[in-house]
Amino acid sequence: MNNEKYDEIIKKVIKEDDISKNVLVAFLSGGLIGVFGEFLANIFDNFMNTNDSYLAVFIVLVVIGSIFTGFGFFDKVLSICKCGLIVPSIGFANSMTSSAMDNNKEGFVRGIGSNIFKLTGSIILYGVVFGIIFGFIRSVI
Amino acid sequence: MTYYFNNVYIKDKYSLLASDKYTPIVLNDVDYFKNDYYMGQKCVELCESKYQEIVIDGLLEKTKITNDKIDILINGDLQNQILSSTLASNKFLIPTLGIYSACASFIEGMVIGSMFINGRSNSNVIVSSSSHNLVSEKQFRFPIEYGALRKRTNTLTASGSVAVLLNNTKSKIKIESATIGSVITTNHKDTNDMGSAMASACSETLIKHLKETKRKSNYYDLILTGDLGIYGIEIVKEYYNDVTKEKLNNIIDSGSIFYNEDNIFAGASGPVCLPLVLFDYILKQKQYKKILVIGTGSLHSVISTNLKLPIPSIAHAISLEVSN
Repeated sequence: MNNEKYDEIIKKVIKEDDISKNVLVAFLSGGLIGVFGEFLANIFDNFMNTNDSYLAVFIVLVVIGSIFTGFGFFDKVLSICKCGLIVPSIGFANSMTSSAMDNNKEGFVRGIGSNIFKLTGSIILYGVVFGIIFGFIRSVI
Repeated sequence: MTYYFNNVYIKDKYSLLASDKYTPIVLNDVDYFKNDYYMGQKCVELCESKYQEIVIDGLLEKTKITNDKIDILINGDLQNQILSSTLASNKFLIPTLGIYSACASFIEGMVIGSMFINGRSNSNVIVSSSSHNLVSEKQFRFPIEYGALRKRTNTLTASGSVAVLLNNTKSKIKIESATIGSVITTNHKDTNDMGSAMASACSETLIKHLKETKRKSNYYDLILTGDLGIYGIEIVKEYYNDVTKEKLNNIIDSGSIFYNEDNIFAGASGPVCLPLVLFDYILKQKQYKKILVIGTGSLHSVISTNLKLPIPSIAHAISLEVSN
């Protein structure tokens, strides 16, 4: 049987997923986390300036994400909230913590150290690279 | 290529199930059940080798055969460099052959064991295999606690281990013939849907076996496949219908029936899924006399996935004759 025909059989058996419901749930859950962040920022505004308070919100969300991951219920919450949880900084914390947890028995250096950025390494690398590029462009313009 | 055997029998088996998540169909029938992903070990990889140690130990005890009477131990699993099989063999000092063909490892081991035993006398071969849900998550998917959304076509690796003893002494289950499949690659690249990749190899091996033995599919009371999942098995039926213009009515997939609960994606996978269902569910029903067992494996690695290569897959078949 040739490959095209086989692809046709696969298409016939496995119908495309309907993603509209997931998108809607992700929109709502992601939005709710945004609202929660704003709420925190408003509280922090009483103690520090606006720039610092957004940084503090980021830190709080990362800590929450890491703790949820460490206790093992991040993936359960995610199966309800869908990708709305991944995009904000909570998802970033989850990828780092989960990679570190996977290899923690292999030692601090070769286990945790070399694996913690396994998933987030590319976010950090390209974040820095594009930060430099756009910073440069901005300074020229 | 199909090989026929005269005097190869399955003497006994020992099975272990390590999780009752989604109530597996074999939950009450296995020889050893413990709901434990660690077994007192410090990480899940070592735990998987412990599973295999327990089943080989259990099998030796159950059949009352000592280590030195075993000619070969053939084992395989899903870990890198089949670590858990190696660590498990370490304890027994039995000549060992480590094999890998992903979820078809167990059937591959039985084929090799049968070929060794055939024509000899007083030979004993142990075939064992294991899989661990968390280990394969780490190995092939994402970190354990990473929140990744699953697709409908994803399968859930079963945790446990099975060992069987093959020898020349006549018993209820005879291994009659075996067909070794070749590696089949189609355009399919999605590693979240391994059933579709393996279905091609499964159909090819099935068609090859029936052609070489000059049998019809209804010669067998049951054709039992490995871990194609609920979509993969449908693809096999379509494929078979397309090539031979006949319908397959007597085919069951172990992966699709492994979990009792609904909504667990496409079903179970892993090298232990097929032997658990075969020995602890199908053979215990005592209603099938001639069974064709097809183990299917998806032979991709993390590197082949990153290189965006299509998924290579393989399937081996053995034909069993059961007498009561």
